[in-house]
Amino acid sequence: MSIVPKETIEVIAQSIGINNLSEDAALSLAPDVEYRMREVMQEAIKCMRHSKRTILTSDDVDAALNLRNVEPIYGFASGGPLQFKRAIGHRDLFYIDDKDVDFKDVIEAPLPKAPLDTSVVCHWLAIEGVQPAIPENAPLEVIAPPSDGKNSEQKDKLPVDIKLPVKHVLSRELQLYFDKITELTLRRSDSALFKEALVSLATDSGLHPLVPYFTCFIADEVACGLNDYKLLFALMRVVWSLLQNPHIHIEPYLHQLMPSVVTCLVAKRLGNRFADNHWELRDFTASLVASICKRFGHIYGSLQTRLTKTLLNALLDPKRSLTQHYGAIQGLAALGPNVVRLLVLPNLEPYLRVLEPEILEKQRNEMKRYEAWRVYGALLRAAGQCIYDRLKIFPPLPSPPAHAVWRDNRKIVTCSILCEI
Amino acid sequence: MDEEQVVKFVETYLKKKGFKQAELAFQDEVQHNSNANSVDIHSDPDLSLLLLSLSQSEDTPARYNDEYSKLRSWTHSSLDLYKPELLRVLYPVFVHCYMDLVAKGHMQEARTFFNSFREDHEMMHLRDLQKLEGVLSPSHLEEMEFAHTLRQSKVNIKICQYSNELLMQYLRNTKSTMMLGIVNDHINFQVSPGQPSLISDDAEVVTLIGSSQDAANQINKKEIHWGLLEDSLEERLENAGALLSDSEKTEGEAKEGDLDETKRRSIEGGKQGASVKKLKKDKAASATAKVVRPETNTGSMAPRVKSELPLPVIPTEVEQSIVEDLRNRVQLSSASLPSASFYTFINTHNGLNCSSISHDGSLVAGGFSDSSLKVWDMAKLGQQSGNSVLQGENDTAPSEHVLGPNGVKRSYSLFQGHSGPVYSATFSPLGDFVLSSSADTTIRLWSTKLNANLVCYKGHNYPVWDVQFSPVGHYFASASHDRTARIWSMDRIQPLRIMAGHLSDVDCVQWHANCNYIATGSSDKTVRLWDVQSGECVRIFIGHRSMILSLAMSPDGRYMASADEDGTIMMWDLSSGRCVLPLMGHNSCVWTLAFSCEGSMLASGSADCTVKLWDVTTSAKVTMTEESKSGSANRLRSLKTLPTKSTPVYTLRFSRRNLLFAAGVLSKSV
Repeated sequence: MSIVPKETIEVIAQSIGINNLSEDAALSLAPDVEYRMREVMQEAIKCMRHSKRTILTSDDVDAALNLRNVEPIYGFASGGPLQFKRAIGHRDLFYIDDKDVDFKDVIEAPLPKAPLDTSVVCHWLAIEGVQPAIPENAPLEVIAPPSDGKNSEQKDKLPVDIKLPVKHVLSRELQLYFDKITELTLRRSDSALFKEALVSLATDSGLHPLVPYFTCFIADEVACGLNDYKLLFALMRVVWSLLQNPHIHIEPYLHQLMPSVVTCLVAKRLGNRFADNHWELRDFTASLVASICKRFGHIYGSLQTRLTKTLLNALLDPKRSLTQHYGAIQGLAALGPNVVRLLVLPNLEPYLRVLEPEILEKQRNEMKRYEAWRVYGALLRAAGQCIYDRLKIFPPLPSPPAHAVWRDNRKIVTCSILCEI
Repeated sequence: MDEEQVVKFVETYLKKKGFKQAELAFQDEVQHNSNANSVDIHSDPDLSLLLLSLSQSEDTPARYNDEYSKLRSWTHSSLDLYKPELLRVLYPVFVHCYMDLVAKGHMQEARTFFNSFREDHEMMHLRDLQKLEGVLSPSHLEEMEFAHTLRQSKVNIKICQYSNELLMQYLRNTKSTMMLGIVNDHINFQVSPGQPSLISDDAEVVTLIGSSQDAANQINKKEIHWGLLEDSLEERLENAGALLSDSEKTEGEAKEGDLDETKRRSIEGGKQGASVKKLKKDKAASATAKVVRPETNTGSMAPRVKSELPLPVIPTEVEQSIVEDLRNRVQLSSASLPSASFYTFINTHNGLNCSSISHDGSLVAGGFSDSSLKVWDMAKLGQQSGNSVLQGENDTAPSEHVLGPNGVKRSYSLFQGHSGPVYSATFSPLGDFVLSSSADTTIRLWSTKLNANLVCYKGHNYPVWDVQFSPVGHYFASASHDRTARIWSMDRIQPLRIMAGHLSDVDCVQWHANCNYIATGSSDKTVRLWDVQSGECVRIFIGHRSMILSLAMSPDGRYMASADEDGTIMMWDLSSGRCVLPLMGHNSCVWTLAFSCEGSMLASGSADCTVKLWDVTTSAKVTMTEESKSGSANRLRSLKTLPTKSTPVYTLRFSRRNLLFAAGVLSKSV
């Protein structure tokens, strides 16, 4: 009848030394035990509520017993929950696992780490009804370890918006657009449609969400399409268009884009057929690189230095092929006369020594000789441009002498080169 | 039916009931009137049958079960229109059946009866059932107050005429004499002609209060003056504002200068941590508010009342700063929600029982179960940040150094004095005093300037659950497990008034805006309003279904909000004593409530780790006009839910500028 069985009463009686409790007494005590238990629980719940908790603890039960003027049974709080163990051989008998503790062990044990002191931290839960996305508010993250003391000044800084990683959602239209553009690019056609596409890439607003996809696409295609000259050219034109578009902020993606572009400039082979005019691609890419440097050079200080370093390495490494040298020279030249003057001209002499055997009739390979001449031409142009630039420093002199000087100069250069040869 | 038979029935009945004298008297009567057939029993076969069944009835416990289950199935198959009313009858019948069984000593049957039907009532009366479940012997019935009051008092049930007839007819026809007896003994039907009442009105039957409903109604008829105090600062400011707006017309420059000045001042006193930009907005908002304010005032001009208490004098410089705050107040509405600053307690090791925030948000107090009270000065906290960060990182070593000379160089001031868990703390309006109440039955007054205990107020006999400073300071009210609420003043160690009347613990207390009344919420599920001067109970608010945990008074003095364990919030109209509307949304204990300063918004903080903002302006208007629809529009009232990161919200406070402060303990189980 009561939820407390009479056996429990008998066990309790035995535990306090009453061995011969009659069954009737146990039966009539059981309901009363249940009633008292409920009473204590009711008070304990009140204490729990006033401690602003939703979980009942042994402290609450102690407090409830206190209220009823009963000696608390749990004594000092043990901290952890009480461990009940099942008595062996009895199905429904449990006891508290109370281990014997050696005093010596307790005394000699190292002091436990002192618990952290209570503190209060402050943050904005909402600003004019809007919850700022700060770590203190985000529902998933765990609060950072106690950083005590946030004064009012810091409070002002706290609600700085930290953008959480957002799932990138592309509209259906943009997806279609992307598919169409990539398809056109991969078709390698020089069709009017592709030109239209490039114009669109260069002018349309609202393409920004696609930029990461385009950079990825370009990097992938360049990496595996080095043999396909037309594809590479198409890709470079896409890059060019993207760079032209005033509505796109391409800066964050430059680091992904640059390797592909530089590859198209100084790769050993671009395209696999003789007919492929890879020189043109290199020239185009050189101008692309130059425009990138011009636009973002001041934002990324290291951009140009890293680029020139790469190119110069390619140029000065005699083991590299002539095509690579050509690309490097074109790239450096495109970066401006100053770069040429500082980096190319001092290395002109050793380089020409390397180039010399390739240019002369000794080189049997027609192909190689042609390449060498291309390189030589590029060098000439770069050096000439550089010197022309130097000349421009002076106020323009009357035309004929200036022209003469320019021509003479050129001759001198060529002469000196020839002399050296 | 023969007369002899009847006489026999009556005799057996009287014998069975042990009415010996009545039996003798009856026999006399029978002998006297043996010839006079004055009793026209013959013409009423129903009655004779009833008598027959009465005489037959062997008081078997099984009959309770049978009859109750029959009544239950009959009720459930009754007409839809009348079903809600009839269902209401079931609960008291159920409870009394159980108690009858217990009282007659049929423990086993009582338990089986209880268990077989308790499910029906669990939704509405879970807590009562849990209490009753423990009643297992006739002596418990006497001892347990709840059961005792149930036995003593009659339950009032509003019922329409037709339902009443239906019920009575059923009980007679089926000869459910047990049920009939219970209904007659313990239920007081208030039969109303016409259509059955709406279900939404049945709140009254949910709570069984000790005093009868009539008494409660009687109490609720008393007059109360809910108006605001005369000559309050707000009023003065409004008058000044009117003057100001006049002068503004003439000289615009002065206003600009004023604006700059206030801006500068508010930056200096930037305790609220609002950025300059925001303050500009505040300013703009308050400027518009200034325009709006006169209109609203003429619309709902609260009546002014005189204070019945001698009020303390406010120092002029404090007055100035308050006026300044009032001037810079942001006008809140459903369109412009408040900014909320959250104070998170960390490393409390499950020991924080309560917290409190001063009016300007610069001081935060926490009451702990280790009997200590700690007060953090949020403005000073930044200066010590270096130390405390060190303390946090390098554990013990540096903290010893930090503790060096004074021994109290913590990030907070520690107040020790109580000898039991601290259950409540409250700041005086000016922030220079803190009161704390504890399980050691005392209330202590602490000075935040001296960091010392000033007074210990002894009076309660049991733990003091709650203590609240009055809006003007000086006076405070306390609520205790000893079922009383008491009014104190700071300069006396004896209470000024003792409010007794609640049937269980008084769990929370709150002052009315005009200081002439206090409201108390109790475990008996009622909220009472008391007159401070006379100490009389002037209102009983019945409707909550579990223990009341928090109360808040609207600044215009007209409404009160109360929240309970289940997460239900109710808005009450003080003058009528009726529930204006229930606000449902929380699914756990609502620890705290706060009205915004102009009363348009109610904030509630709960154990479910959310702060909810409720629009209470529209609610008031809507319910004034169409009370019945209040339930359906409930969802719209919830303006915003601000979830915290596993931090139950313990305290909410709107600053005078309508910035919302909240405090809670980070309680993660990682």
